[in-house]
Amino acid sequence: MSRSVTGQLLYALAAAVVVALAATVKTDGYVANILMQAATYAIAVFGLSIVLGLCGQINLAQAAFFALGAYSVALGTVDYHVPFWLCLVAGMAIALAAGAGLGLTTLRLGGHYLAMVTISFQQILTVVLINAIRFTHGPDGVSSIPRPAGFTSGQAFLGLVVAILAASGYLVWRLADTRLGRAMRAVRDNELAASANGIDIFRTKLIAFALAALLGGLGGGLFAGGFSYISPDQFAFADSIVLLTMALLGGVASPVGAAIGTGLLILIPEWLRFLKSVPGLYLAVYGVAVILIVLFMPDGIWGYVSKFFRGRAPAPSKAGEPLVLKPSNSGAPMALEVKGLCKHFGGLKAVDGVDLQVRRGGAHALIGPNGSGKTTMVNVVTGLYRATAGEIFVDGVEVTTVPPHKRTVAGLARTFQNIRLFRTMTALENVVVGAERDGNMLVEGGHDALWRRARAALEFVGLGHRANELIPSFSYGHQRLIEIARALAANPTVLLLDEPAAGLNLTEKKALHDLLGRIAAQGLTILIIDHDMTLIAGAARHVTVLNFGRRIADGETAEVLRQPDVAAAYLGVAE
Amino acid sequence: MTLLEVKDLSVSYGEIEALRGVSFTIDQGAVVALLGSNGAGKSTTLRAISGLVAPSAGSILFDGKPIAGLSPRAIVKLGVAHVPEGRRIFPGLTVRENIMLGASNGNASVGTIRQEADAMFDLFPAIKPFADALGWTLSGGQLQMVAVARGLMAKPRLLLLDEPSLGLAPIVMQAVFQIVAEIQRRGTTVLLVEQNAHMALKVANWGYVLETGRLALGGDPTTLWSDERIRDAYLGGEQAKA
Amino acid sequence: MDFFLQLLFTGVGIGAVYALVALGFVLIFRATNVVNFAQGEFSMVAAYLMVVFAVDLGWPYWLAFLIAIAGMALLGAIFNLTVYYPLRHRSFLPVLISTIGASIFLSNSVLALYGPQPQVLPGWLDTPGFQLGPVYLDSQYLIIIIATLALVAFQYWLFERTLIGKKLQATSQDKEMATLLGIPVASMIMITFIYSAVLGGIAGILVAPVLFVSIQMGSTIALKAFAATIIGGFGDVAGAILGGFAIGIIETFGAAYISVPFKDAFAFLVLILFLVVRPQGIFGERVAEKA
Repeated sequence: MSRSVTGQLLYALAAAVVVALAATVKTDGYVANILMQAATYAIAVFGLSIVLGLCGQINLAQAAFFALGAYSVALGTVDYHVPFWLCLVAGMAIALAAGAGLGLTTLRLGGHYLAMVTISFQQILTVVLINAIRFTHGPDGVSSIPRPAGFTSGQAFLGLVVAILAASGYLVWRLADTRLGRAMRAVRDNELAASANGIDIFRTKLIAFALAALLGGLGGGLFAGGFSYISPDQFAFADSIVLLTMALLGGVASPVGAAIGTGLLILIPEWLRFLKSVPGLYLAVYGVAVILIVLFMPDGIWGYVSKFFRGRAPAPSKAGEPLVLKPSNSGAPMALEVKGLCKHFGGLKAVDGVDLQVRRGGAHALIGPNGSGKTTMVNVVTGLYRATAGEIFVDGVEVTTVPPHKRTVAGLARTFQNIRLFRTMTALENVVVGAERDGNMLVEGGHDALWRRARAALEFVGLGHRANELIPSFSYGHQRLIEIARALAANPTVLLLDEPAAGLNLTEKKALHDLLGRIAAQGLTILIIDHDMTLIAGAARHVTVLNFGRRIADGETAEVLRQPDVAAAYLGVAE
Repeated sequence: MTLLEVKDLSVSYGEIEALRGVSFTIDQGAVVALLGSNGAGKSTTLRAISGLVAPSAGSILFDGKPIAGLSPRAIVKLGVAHVPEGRRIFPGLTVRENIMLGASNGNASVGTIRQEADAMFDLFPAIKPFADALGWTLSGGQLQMVAVARGLMAKPRLLLLDEPSLGLAPIVMQAVFQIVAEIQRRGTTVLLVEQNAHMALKVANWGYVLETGRLALGGDPTTLWSDERIRDAYLGGEQAKA
Repeated sequence: MDFFLQLLFTGVGIGAVYALVALGFVLIFRATNVVNFAQGEFSMVAAYLMVVFAVDLGWPYWLAFLIAIAGMALLGAIFNLTVYYPLRHRSFLPVLISTIGASIFLSNSVLALYGPQPQVLPGWLDTPGFQLGPVYLDSQYLIIIIATLALVAFQYWLFERTLIGKKLQATSQDKEMATLLGIPVASMIMITFIYSAVLGGIAGILVAPVLFVSIQMGSTIALKAFAATIIGGFGDVAGAILGGFAIGIIETFGAAYISVPFKDAFAFLVLILFLVVRPQGIFGERVAEKA
């Protein structure tokens, strides 16, 4: 998918052609109806492309948001004589509010809970639509819904809908490449890593959910205008499933897929009209189709087909300026300071009153045998766990209760023991996510500055020439390097490396060692947690040793490693 | 006689090669310690033997029979029990129930199994008072005993013990290693994976040291312990000494 | 007071049905971590099987019941093999969507085979009910309550007093460890699916004489059973049962004192409320432990 200017021009051209065709080519009522349904549904399915495709969150109430838009237009124009456009906007706003409300209640819980809440909401809405007769007209539905002035003919309205479809498709398409879009994709691919790189997971999910609801409402409002008659049975749970299937069939992550899925699932039943002759047969086949798609084509038709179009990654632009690392210095003596840190899991004291002072510049190591509490400590310092007691200061700023995604602002960056990269993105995109964290002074120049910096970071770790390749095409060792580049792009003050040598062979470890040296030379403070003593001894000047959740040694590496109680911690007590 | 023979064993997790060409043998009736620092491949070795992971190359012969790639169920039926790292006691079941499930590799009646479980409490008197307590209420050391008892219920000829001392206070560790000695006395062969080299070598008849997926050292405990290279395997090479 | 007692009886009766379905649902979740959106369809299919054999073919009630239960066991096995097993290593979303697909397939297959008219299934006993003091005890509701208590007792006995129940629990708690001990995990999961399908089926057969037998009955019951598991604490067996009774009572009293048409909405409202205020339910553990 080309995101260049050429691509956008082509899109605009194609859209213009399609809109013109829709507005002028005369079709009989039946075909016009099909097109109208496909177009309005597709807008709603675009909403699913955002929340499910981009952000990975389940939404089983899209038909409910569709209904909110439809009923706003229907009741607003017919019962209250409010102009069409106003009703449409109101419908979108109501859908947005509902989506946001639902999201606020359950997005923190995610997964199954979200599925259940969305289903429940859908069911409640259906009950209300059917039973609040005085307000909603009940099962009779609302008829004679007017169209806005200038678009009263079926043809013109269809042209309008297709135009709006093209516009919303464009927005969804472009969304993937914005900062918000990248945040959504990061949340979908790896929540923990997204959080560690400055992304507010909850807010991102909420926005995705709200946008989906908004588009659902838009589609529904246009649907009401298009068909002039709506009734509750058009917006039931089964319809949410139909919308979901359209998204899945076409390919969840892209508007092109959404359009394909919608088109197919509206056209196919028309070609297979005999299926509709037996009530239930059509939907039964639907059900099987959903299972088969999930089993065999998880990326949908477009996902499958676009793999053939992908071809070779475009060669990246030439390397620009070298990577600049300007760690901030508030004047506090320690880059990272931890005082009396405790983390208890029930009765288990994983970390029991540990102090840690990491001096500015150079590398400091945190070591200890298995079960000593190192990993827990790292997770508390980076915010994944809440400390039971104690204080954490990054560059003099207290971050003890700051959520993980905000610790990047204080200057903390980390890599993970079992590499957490965003696997559906390219190496460069991964690094850009790191670079665009809040408060990164070195990317103030806007879009270009951001991408130049990311490129420079990749170049710094030696992978600049492969910037546009997707993560799965890199070896494990190289993925490790990309993760480090992502952290560096954020211009951190303290870089926390969690077992960076794990899984690397000897050559890769040597390259890592050299890289660490180059990073330290730029004045960055590094905290390494690892078991590979050769690496530690070579790279870190200071080391802190933990055992049983407590600090048992701290000082210059060579001296500490000679201490008998350190040897004892690892090898066992010598008599 | 040789009970277990591992030849040129290689195991990969996706791209990462965790074990490369490891070969060693275990004699019947022995306690063999498999040592090495974290990430050396010790747990991977046990998982390959018990069938949780399939080797990418090499062979494993148990009592002359090839077992590499068999399912864990088949392997435990042949007489190899694996007590994994972290004990993994079923938290919602009582101690007695956990132990009784250790006999799941056979077809004995519930009554027989219950009797055998009671016999276990004689071997591990410290956990007898907790027989009907839920798994999650016990301390680390107690859980380790339950895990070992559960493993023994399978009546294994070879017991694979993965880091029994993990997270235990030194005095509790002593008790665990004494149990290892007792198990040996009763005729079970033990392959003991440990980070705590000193204690493991005190109870073992033979030792091997893994370093980043390869076998670095092997020998009897005294020789191994006084070998400088064992320190290097854990605490780094020449650079560390500088 | 009389009215209150009457409502209580009805609420407990319908709650028992929800409890059974919730139980089947929780058992599958604990064993496989799958939220089975087709659980309600098990109830619906069983009810239709009863209609076919007991009403259309006129066979004896007890015979039709046995055949229906056997059919449900078969359905549970097929469900496991086609919907869960191929996807068991994937993340929860594909499996969840797959169960939704199965749910649509089941309800619409029955629709295609049988037609949209709701059916009537007679109750087990011929006497419609009898008076106990101020309360009229509908005989079918009585049967529901008694059968549910029996099944809950059976459940308790199976899980707490038999070795196979322990193996089932072990499989739920730690699959890999269960494998290491020699427990046949795949078989345990198959048993769980069959048992859950049968539980759902019994619930459907029990409640069918009280409602109409319709295509939609499954999803309505299932969603309330989901609400029950949330209220009781997601994944907790006792919680699911008690939650079922709670939902039944809430719904019945809601319908009587507030409004009948909206009674279906109450369960969902309570569900959302619980998710906002106390997501771990009454008995569950903390849902999220993050910074």
